[in-house]
Amino acid sequence: MIRLTRRQALRSAAAFGTFAIIGRAQAAKPFTPSGSLVDAAKKEGKIVLYTATFIEVEQEVINEFRKKFPFISVEMIRAPGGQLIQRVKTEAAAGKLAADVLIHSDRGLTKGIEHIFADYAPPNAGDYLPESLVSPKLWPTLTAGWCIAYNTEITKNPPKSWMDLIKPEYGDGQIAQVIAQSGGTTWTRIMFERQMLAEDYWAKQAATKPRLYPSGAPCSDALVRGEFSIAPLVYNIVYPKERDGAPIKTFFPSEGVPIVPYGSGIPKTAQSPNAARLYMDWLLSEEGQAFQIKQHGNLTSLKVAPLLPEGFAKDTKVWVPKFAEFEALYGTWIEEWNKVYGYRQ
Amino acid sequence: MRALAGWLWSAALLLILSFLVLYPVAMLLLGALTNTNPVVDGFGVYDISLKNFIAVLGNPNVLLALANSLIVCGGGTLLAVAIGLTFSWVVVRTDTPCKRFIAAASLIPLFVPPLVAAVAWSILASPKTGLLNTLLASIGITWRFNAYSMFGLIVIFGIYYAPYVYMFTASALRNMDPALEEAAEISGATPIKTLFTVTFPLIAPAIISGMLLSFVVMLGIYGIPAVLGTPADIPVLTTYIFKLTNWSPPLYSTAASVAIILMIVTGFLVFLQQRVVSGRSYITVAGKAFRPGVMRLGPWRWFTLALAVVYLVVVVVLPTLALIVAGFRKFLFIRSIASLFDMKQYSLIHFERLFDNPLALRSIVNTMEVGCITAVVGGIFAFAIGYTVNRTKARGRRGIDIISTIPVAIPGLVVGVAYLWAWIGLPGGLYGTIWILALAFIARFMPDTIKALSTSMLQIHRELEEAAWICGKSLLGTIRTIVLPLARPGVIAAMTLLFILAIRELGSSLFLYTSNTMVMAVLLLDYYEGGNVGITAAFSLVQTVLLAVLIGIAHLLSRGRTDSSSVGRAG
Repeated sequence: MIRLTRRQALRSAAAFGTFAIIGRAQAAKPFTPSGSLVDAAKKEGKIVLYTATFIEVEQEVINEFRKKFPFISVEMIRAPGGQLIQRVKTEAAAGKLAADVLIHSDRGLTKGIEHIFADYAPPNAGDYLPESLVSPKLWPTLTAGWCIAYNTEITKNPPKSWMDLIKPEYGDGQIAQVIAQSGGTTWTRIMFERQMLAEDYWAKQAATKPRLYPSGAPCSDALVRGEFSIAPLVYNIVYPKERDGAPIKTFFPSEGVPIVPYGSGIPKTAQSPNAARLYMDWLLSEEGQAFQIKQHGNLTSLKVAPLLPEGFAKDTKVWVPKFAEFEALYGTWIEEWNKVYGYRQ
Repeated sequence: MRALAGWLWSAALLLILSFLVLYPVAMLLLGALTNTNPVVDGFGVYDISLKNFIAVLGNPNVLLALANSLIVCGGGTLLAVAIGLTFSWVVVRTDTPCKRFIAAASLIPLFVPPLVAAVAWSILASPKTGLLNTLLASIGITWRFNAYSMFGLIVIFGIYYAPYVYMFTASALRNMDPALEEAAEISGATPIKTLFTVTFPLIAPAIISGMLLSFVVMLGIYGIPAVLGTPADIPVLTTYIFKLTNWSPPLYSTAASVAIILMIVTGFLVFLQQRVVSGRSYITVAGKAFRPGVMRLGPWRWFTLALAVVYLVVVVVLPTLALIVAGFRKFLFIRSIASLFDMKQYSLIHFERLFDNPLALRSIVNTMEVGCITAVVGGIFAFAIGYTVNRTKARGRRGIDIISTIPVAIPGLVVGVAYLWAWIGLPGGLYGTIWILALAFIARFMPDTIKALSTSMLQIHRELEEAAWICGKSLLGTIRTIVLPLARPGVIAAMTLLFILAIRELGSSLFLYTSNTMVMAVLLLDYYEGGNVGITAAFSLVQTVLLAVLIGIAHLLSRGRTDSSSVGRAG
């Protein structure tokens, strides 16, 4: 097992607060693309979107985009992060990559296939936090944060912190977890657990015998159905359900919120590069970010956030992994996690 | 000249068959023997060794998946025998009322896609939130159904694959000479004793044959263990193969090795089944005309009818209701039975979300396109093979016959892996087109199509063709003016069968689709794995309605001649 040195721990600890989540009251600037881009996109008429975001969340984003640009249809392919990258690699190698836009939660994985992406920067590139960028071709179209969610109908004594999730009273399958290698968001959370909460957090958590799910989407759906009581989940998959009246509650624990800036881009082989650019520009604009914050509870990697998600206090601590560690620790830590949680390959 | 044409004809058929069957299987074998990643390396680098097989056979996870497969399919087969044999006896040998209804009910599960059945049963019998369990809780019963278990898998396999045993045993019971049974009765044996000591032993070959076939089909199914086995962490060979190809990096060679193991197990069982069929199965058919005796059940005939009704409720009615509830209900948290009838909880939101994504409609169009190509091209090709093998003395027809039968022993998922291996490394080739799916389906269902066609072809007496030849017609002219018109109902039946098989096939599609060629079965699995049970149920309902309409049309077109015996092979 890799042990963090004191220096590493301090460096990781310093990651708290490096992301400036600054909310402001005034309305987000409306998105005004150039007429030539809109015309060119209109001629193309459609984009194929590959996404690691949850289906219903992404569909709401697409619908909002289409309210503004109804002449562009968007076909969506959704898969968990790891599987999606595999699909992209396979199709790209066969010269059949159909994606015009790739929205991905794991900046490490998309950086690994940086060569397939076209050069791209949004008009407001300078408004983004430099530490959220790992490549000039990849952009944080979405910045997701983790929360704890529980089913209000079956949870008698809701947890109040991350450390509560290792208490034996929540044992015997009351908690569910997403497997570590599901994608970049989960990898960020398990790094946070080990680096920021406790070195033996995984072992204690595994002792509660959590139920394991392949990705956050089925896990959140099962929480609503009452298959189990509690789960750490990316806020944007549970907040819309809570908003629509599902029997769940969510909260951001005081120990900190691991956040995940996405690494999204436009492949060189895009069939509709202009429509793809228009979609990315809109997503990354203040208007696009504000929509995702308001409707889905996402955060943002803009230096000045147009607003804060509901339930997110201004003084909530956020945590971003060091990108070097995010990449370097992946293989060994995932293997250890699999062993600790008894997840078989 | 005619001999040369015949030789060229056989050579052409053999070439196409090699392209469809032998080349992909050879590439699969090659994949299992090398560590080449066809996606990255193409086919340039070979380092042939048995390392993968040795590693796979020594890997406890593979052995666990193999053991689980054998337990689940073995248990499922035993249950399928109990159900299939009971209904075949009820239909053929008892005076139970509504026998036509029971016969139809016994075959309906063949038309239910395994993935849809599994999704429905996950909604019904999830241990914590299943609708049946909510019902039990509301009436104070603490026992719970659990579809996410080995037992649950066995039961679902058993009830949905019982029709295989039914088809074999019903026909054997129908063709059986009742003399031995009469002798037993005269000797004083009770009807039940006669049943177990005379009747069933006499049709043992049919029972064994149905058993082996249902076992083989279950081994190749992906949808059911993916939905019901995964939550309980019960990997089987098919789900394990799929997981290997989705690993990061994907373990194609290991997947190919596991696929070969699955193919060997399947091939051995198909061989056994064919031996049984060709050996003793006709022993009960005597030369004289007879009518098997019908047992008078008295009041018990209502019990046997009730059994059939219960079966229909379990395999069709309950799953459909579950899909309706999940497809129309906003959230699937059901506090109590009363809340199930709270109409405020229902809406069309899942259908709206489903069709908000143009991919849903595209997948339906793609599926129809693949179905049509498969049916037309596959139907013509199967006709060419069937005619050559059954009606000509063309050279190499034995070889054609053997190669065209090979796919019987290859599970759909393995066909998918083989085609992926064969075509992905060749840029600009078939991968990523509708055609790779259609060709895989044609290869996979070729034995079924040829079998369905041959039956109708054999009914046309040779003297009709001979008369045409004498009148100066060429071979093609004879086929066009005599054979095709006479065999038309059979040809249409075979093509519609192929169409239905193609549109519900999941196993081989899993590896061959791309975003542009997404088909319904794969998108449904995507939605299921994407976690939204509501949209999954809504799409399952759309598929069920579409399939029911298409089967209805197919039935009308072929006037009931569709050979349902093969429908359940898709998975």
